[in-house]
Amino acid sequence: MSSGLSNSRSFGDRVILALVIALSIVMLAPALWVIALSFKDNAELMANPNSVFHPPYIIQNYINIVGTSAVFRWILNSLIVSIGLTVGTLVLSSLAGYGFARLNFPGRDILFVVVLFGLAVPEQAVLVARHQIFSILKFHNTYQGIILPGLSSAFGVFLMTQYFRAIPKELDEAAMLDNASRFRVFWKVLLPLTLPAQATLGIFTFLGAWNDYFWPLISATKKEMFTLTVGMASTQTNFAQSEGIGYLMAQAVFAGAPIFIVYLFFQKYIVTAVSGAAVR
Amino acid sequence: MSAEIEIRNVSKSFGSAKVLENLSLSIPGHEFVVFLGPSGCGKSTLLRMIAGLESVEDGEILINGERIDHLPPGQRGVAMVFQSYALYPHMTVRQNMTFGLENINVAKDVIDARVADAARMLEIGHLLDRKPGQLSGGQRQRVAIGRAVVKEPNAFLFDEPLSNLDAALRTRTRIELAQLHQRLRSTMIFVTHDQIEAMTLADRIVVMNNKKIEQIGAPMEIYDRPATRFVAGFVGTPQMNFLDVTAARPGALGLSVACGPKLSIDTAVAPDVAGEVASLGIRAEAVSLAAPGEGQADGVIDVLERLGDRSLAHVRLDDGQMVVANESGQTRLGVGARVALRFDGTKAHLFDGAGKAYHGREAAP
Repeated sequence: MSSGLSNSRSFGDRVILALVIALSIVMLAPALWVIALSFKDNAELMANPNSVFHPPYIIQNYINIVGTSAVFRWILNSLIVSIGLTVGTLVLSSLAGYGFARLNFPGRDILFVVVLFGLAVPEQAVLVARHQIFSILKFHNTYQGIILPGLSSAFGVFLMTQYFRAIPKELDEAAMLDNASRFRVFWKVLLPLTLPAQATLGIFTFLGAWNDYFWPLISATKKEMFTLTVGMASTQTNFAQSEGIGYLMAQAVFAGAPIFIVYLFFQKYIVTAVSGAAVR
Repeated sequence: MSAEIEIRNVSKSFGSAKVLENLSLSIPGHEFVVFLGPSGCGKSTLLRMIAGLESVEDGEILINGERIDHLPPGQRGVAMVFQSYALYPHMTVRQNMTFGLENINVAKDVIDARVADAARMLEIGHLLDRKPGQLSGGQRQRVAIGRAVVKEPNAFLFDEPLSNLDAALRTRTRIELAQLHQRLRSTMIFVTHDQIEAMTLADRIVVMNNKKIEQIGAPMEIYDRPATRFVAGFVGTPQMNFLDVTAARPGALGLSVACGPKLSIDTAVAPDVAGEVASLGIRAEAVSLAAPGEGQADGVIDVLERLGDRSLAHVRLDDGQMVVANESGQTRLGVGARVALRFDGTKAHLFDGAGKAYHGREAAP
């Protein structure tokens, strides 16, 4: 009886495994396709798209990308913007979250609702006004111009507020009885306990900033201020989209590589973040 | 390491709800005081006001003659053990214990010595490098106490610290707390709704109910001479039997009261309160079982609690009143058995309509 049960279970497991493999192939196929195309000569792909399945494979497309003198500048710009935005968002969201969760001040609840309204306002709705303000302030084509709009993260404030609220107040009280100042309670006791939420927020913010195309396209008009996404897109001519497929795919791989590396290092947190388990 | 605590006319409200009203209390140094009362009576609020975690709305709190109710919690010289322990989860046991001392810049060698002493006393030396998540409930409890001990406070405040422990561990920890008090001779205030904890730990019990103090006294004083009907009913297991008094007249011992048409009990309470009494209270150990017709009232055993060394018989009297009687040893009686009850009137208490108690001259041991 138990042996039969065990067999049926292992059969069920095998079916699930087969399904998972099949779905993984479906998910991975486009990525593998892009990678394979990136190692093929443009002219060869033009003549025969099936040439992707056999050698020769070349790295000329990547040499061409690196050869574009601005590409490393664009990577640097993307790094500065993504890291700046991530650090800034974490700092501001943590402070705001602590404030909303722990401090009593007049209008706190109304202010929190106002912040949450930010979740419902699409970026496109404020684009013209923001563009004008940044023009007046001469913020376009500067790092602060690209970073600042992203710092007001309603999602970040909401996430951190909920996380701080979930931490028992007895910890604050124990720390106060331990002679800790309010800042020390925040810094030494509460903030370390929010690390899972900060990892979630940091990863989402970094990925969002790295992949952002819309606002950098508007704010960064000078080539030396392009982020990687804007810079890569600027090299895609009509010719490239029809007759430079290999180069185009190499660009996609090149732009995606840093994110892939981030994923490798923070895999555990990303899975937690996506599953929502980080929010207690 | 010991403080006299004076609470003068303290009041507290949360919004429109008054939780403490004009409450005064004096706690001498070295004393182990237990605040006992039902949930919502304000005992934890009072403790938190002493700790500085709740503001004092009216009145004042003094420690060693110095007013402290305006000081922040860390500057009051008190240490608190929370019901949930409130250990910092990301810090090791050692860091939990040293955090408070580091905040006031105590020298490292002093900190190390105090941690070593406390760890030895509480037998947690082997846990110092573990984090709270790696400890059992009892070990966390010891660490929470250790965190308080290293601060060498003027007074220890315990907010229902045993309620998260299982029954066996609770008993053990209770004994250890009593030993700790004997060793440190510090002022300790302990909040609980568990009367056994209060009776076994306290030098004095402060019984609280409905925003105010009902009675302050030594455990046996509270037990033997409760000031009010509430205290009489709240302290003691099983709960004191209460019978409505229908008539009262001078008797052989003092005041003889009738509790229903067929039951008359001769109490030792002075007869001059005859016009005041509304109910009689008598503990189960002052009521014994007898053969039918040989006691003051007959009835039938409804429920029988066999506790090993004694049994508690819940007897329904013929007039419908329920009385719990204590039968020492292992009784051969069973549920449904017809019995008579004998009341030891010298140990009975009488209460007026407002709940004020009157005791017999011989009621106290």
